[in-house]
Amino acid sequence: MSNKKKKIIKIGAIVIAAGLIVGISVALYLWNLPHRDVQGTATDYELTTSELVTEYINDWDNANAKYLAEDGRSKVLEVTGTVVRVTENFNGQKVVFMREEGDKAGINFTFLPEASSNAEKLNPGQVATLKGVIRSGVYFDKDLEMFVHAVVDNADLVADNQ
Amino acid sequence: MKRAFFSKSTSRHDINIMRVPSDKLKTNYFRMKTNLKQTIILSTLFLLSVTAFSQERLVSNNTHIRFFSSTPAEDIESNNYASTSTINLQNGNVVFSVPMQSFEFKKSLMQRHFNQEKFLHTSEFPTARLVAKITNLSEIDFSKDGEYDAVVEGDLTIRGVTNSIKEPGTITVKGGKVDATSKFFVTLADYDVTFSGGKPSTNIADKVEVTVHAEYIKE
Repeated sequence: MSNKKKKIIKIGAIVIAAGLIVGISVALYLWNLPHRDVQGTATDYELTTSELVTEYINDWDNANAKYLAEDGRSKVLEVTGTVVRVTENFNGQKVVFMREEGDKAGINFTFLPEASSNAEKLNPGQVATLKGVIRSGVYFDKDLEMFVHAVVDNADLVADNQ
Repeated sequence: MKRAFFSKSTSRHDINIMRVPSDKLKTNYFRMKTNLKQTIILSTLFLLSVTAFSQERLVSNNTHIRFFSSTPAEDIESNNYASTSTINLQNGNVVFSVPMQSFEFKKSLMQRHFNQEKFLHTSEFPTARLVAKITNLSEIDFSKDGEYDAVVEGDLTIRGVTNSIKEPGTITVKGGKVDATSKFFVTLADYDVTFSGGKPSTNIADKVEVTVHAEYIKE
């Protein structure tokens, strides 16, 4: 085997090995891709509970197009409103429901497990600003015969009035 | 008497024959007015109570819906805790509204795939729905503690595609609280969720197990 052939085989082997390493690295990265750090993500919209509720009731399609992303990495919101109640879901996460008097619906904020203590600080009637990622908006469901509240997940407390 | 007070065509003759002492007339008039008021109030109360009774229903904002897929390649699980459901106690109607982007996966990449156009297309179809009826409602006593078998029949809509389903469930009544659970299988292809190749075609089962748990309170 000539030196030239040996050189070509050597280069080919290096290219194939490099390709394999890059391919495996990318696959491993994607496989172990961390979940989105919602609290560490810049806020897309700052608004009030009433503003979000009204926007959805007025034009559900447009609001969905504005807030929901195709890959599920939807808009990160900071919402200011009045706390109505704090409950716990089947996963042990705190759920803070905010709604303004006279509004047809409100927003359920499911808190991150590590932010539970912040949710526990909140009391009914208190005004607070919460941050999280929107999962679904407000709409009137004719079968449920009621307005369905908006859902915001991975939430945490940004500010309160106390 | 009635004609003298209410008829628009009261004639002079009528008035003459109805000539009675004015005090007595006033007393009778006010007595009738009072009776009429009482009748109206009682009728309204009756109508309101009938309406309230006919609309009596249970509402749940505390729910858990789990998808589970098992293949030789891997097991995939996803959980959703943000659905809303109602049970109408009069006609047995059961409704679930499920926000699809609230499904959480262990792997972030799976969550992204799940939401994308090729899979559930959740930005276009943000909610899945079940509109069904408990067909054996008469066998369930929502006012008495116990565990009751239920049969739920209706329409399940996922990704904008609706199919009829008939599944068993269990309703547990305990101390004024009502819990509903059910486990059934969904064939993904029935809802236009198909994979022609690649990892999803080998790693996601054709049929996924769906587990539902909802805790209801009276509205």
